[in-house]
Amino acid sequence: MATLRRLREVPRHLLVCEKSNFGNHKSRHRHIIQTHYYNYRVSFLIPECGILSEELKNLVMQTGPYYFVKSLPLHELITHEFISTFIKKGSCCALTYNTNIDEDNTVALLPNGTLLLSLDKDTYEETGLQGRPSQFSGRKIMKFIVSIDLMELSLNLDSKKYERISWSFKEKKPLKFDFLLAWHNTGSEESTMMSYFSKYQIQEHQPKVALSTLRDLQCPVLQSSELEGTPDVSCRALELFDWLGAVFSNVDLNNEPNNFISTYCCPQPSTVVAKAYSCTITGFILPEKICLLLEHLCHYYDEPKLAPWVTLSVQGFADSPVSWGKNEHGFRKGGEHLYNFVIFNNQDYWLQMAVGANDHCPP
Amino acid sequence: MAVFADLDLRVGSDMKALRGLVETAAHRGQHGPNLREAKALRDENLFSLLELGKSRPIKILTRLTIIVSDPSHCNVLRATSSRVRLYDVVAVFPKTEKLFHVIQCSDFVYDLFCLIWKLLGFAIDRGLAFELVYSPAIKDSTMRRYTISNALNLMQICKGKNVIISSAAERPLEIRGPYDVANLGLLFGLSESDAKAAVSTNCRAALLHGETRKTAFGIISTVKKPRPSEGDEDCLPAPKKAKCEESCFVTQAGVQIQERRLWISHQCIHTPKNRL
Repeated sequence: MATLRRLREVPRHLLVCEKSNFGNHKSRHRHIIQTHYYNYRVSFLIPECGILSEELKNLVMQTGPYYFVKSLPLHELITHEFISTFIKKGSCCALTYNTNIDEDNTVALLPNGTLLLSLDKDTYEETGLQGRPSQFSGRKIMKFIVSIDLMELSLNLDSKKYERISWSFKEKKPLKFDFLLAWHNTGSEESTMMSYFSKYQIQEHQPKVALSTLRDLQCPVLQSSELEGTPDVSCRALELFDWLGAVFSNVDLNNEPNNFISTYCCPQPSTVVAKAYSCTITGFILPEKICLLLEHLCHYYDEPKLAPWVTLSVQGFADSPVSWGKNEHGFRKGGEHLYNFVIFNNQDYWLQMAVGANDHCPP
Repeated sequence: MAVFADLDLRVGSDMKALRGLVETAAHRGQHGPNLREAKALRDENLFSLLELGKSRPIKILTRLTIIVSDPSHCNVLRATSSRVRLYDVVAVFPKTEKLFHVIQCSDFVYDLFCLIWKLLGFAIDRGLAFELVYSPAIKDSTMRRYTISNALNLMQICKGKNVIISSAAERPLEIRGPYDVANLGLLFGLSESDAKAAVSTNCRAALLHGETRKTAFGIISTVKKPRPSEGDEDCLPAPKKAKCEESCFVTQAGVQIQERRLWISHQCIHTPKNRL
């Protein structure tokens, strides 16, 4: 029966695994990191490591700051001053805070100067702007995406397009949101967000860092050249992905028979590692900082180390309107979009990208 | 997607319990809990809006469920009935099949249909929403079987269109979060996207249908403005006063165009006192 068949299916999800080497000039690792704009949590796991090096610790502590602005009207983001101060001189990311992508209106500013509005049907009709229906709408179209290129607008501020957008944001349907903002400054001047948005109760935050040492951890054995693993020799990439999720969720991997919560255990073959260092950074983290972190972890093996591999995982905001680049992201029952690097001592790496139901295939 | 709504929370006489129920619904993520009066006749008990909720304040709406066990109970469903206008959503719960036919064939005004057994296909053409309640399924295992089998029968006929799932909860423990209710929809035979729509989009459609009951075909609604104060009336000569003044909101497809004033009697020019 159709219902029974449907009940047996799991919600659609995609996991893309690929392998490459950092020395390979065609390697896509930088592109993948730089096009994933809205990063909520960055975690890395280093087996056979008791303490972090000073450099890595400093890097971890300097992944911020990010800013929180309350009730910012949308027309402030299209002013010429904002565009020339922040968007043209560096990469500025903004995302509405505490808005659910499947229920509420969400606004995101991409570093390339695109302002994306993900609006419900009523708001879309009231703003009077041109947009397209969302690709994950269902029977009735209830969500519309309006995309405004601010770089193009700033070239001609007297154009009809700019006047219409300005009229819509100021008079027709003034929208206000709480925003999370972050800015990577590539210019020489030291203009700051704090002074620019001082009349909107802007607060500066540092990402939260959680460091811990795990003792006697069972880790899977991996071979960098074998993504699919070899029976009794190495584990598959998929098994590693599940295991890593279990470790970061603090699941007991003892496989005790009386454990009600979880019977998951480490994939075989595995080794027991005396200690492993785990670090989790939570906040609104820019792709540029993640690039620096990855570069540093690549150089972890410049000196001989016991660890067979090191992982770096990055999770995106569940309520962001885009996953990678301009790929639309939705929330059906879960809004995951994340990627994971597994770095080996010979500069080989595995890259795993996962998305949920209302998402396009990762790049 | 629209915001999540639960269109059926049962109202008792205990205000504190009611407040607890609404707060639980808000914390679970429902943005539009609809309080139901389950009586054979009508009742008036309007509540004010509360400012609870996560990303935006929740809206509390009123609903009237008319349990029809006799044809005379259907009189209240007529479009001219003023009682029906007081509520945001009107639901009908026919007890017998004969009454079901009576309701179907007449020109009554209502938004939701409460289900207990089999259905006829022509009800769907009216654009009505069909409501499934899940709290009996939580309370009792026999009711669970009936609920699921009735729901599967409904799906065979309506193919998952215009279905709403709501709680009919009397206690906070009987409310479930919107994503859990959408998962329950899978058990009832809905597809994933239809199940999510049953908790969000279709609820919004039913509420809009309720609003259009107070308008003329969903396009024009009238609002009576209060009479002007005594001071203004005195400065005008009596025969030249306008007979009545109405404000008319003209809406098309939910977008308000503008407010117009209709002068129904002779044109009257207001002149300030110092010009006379």
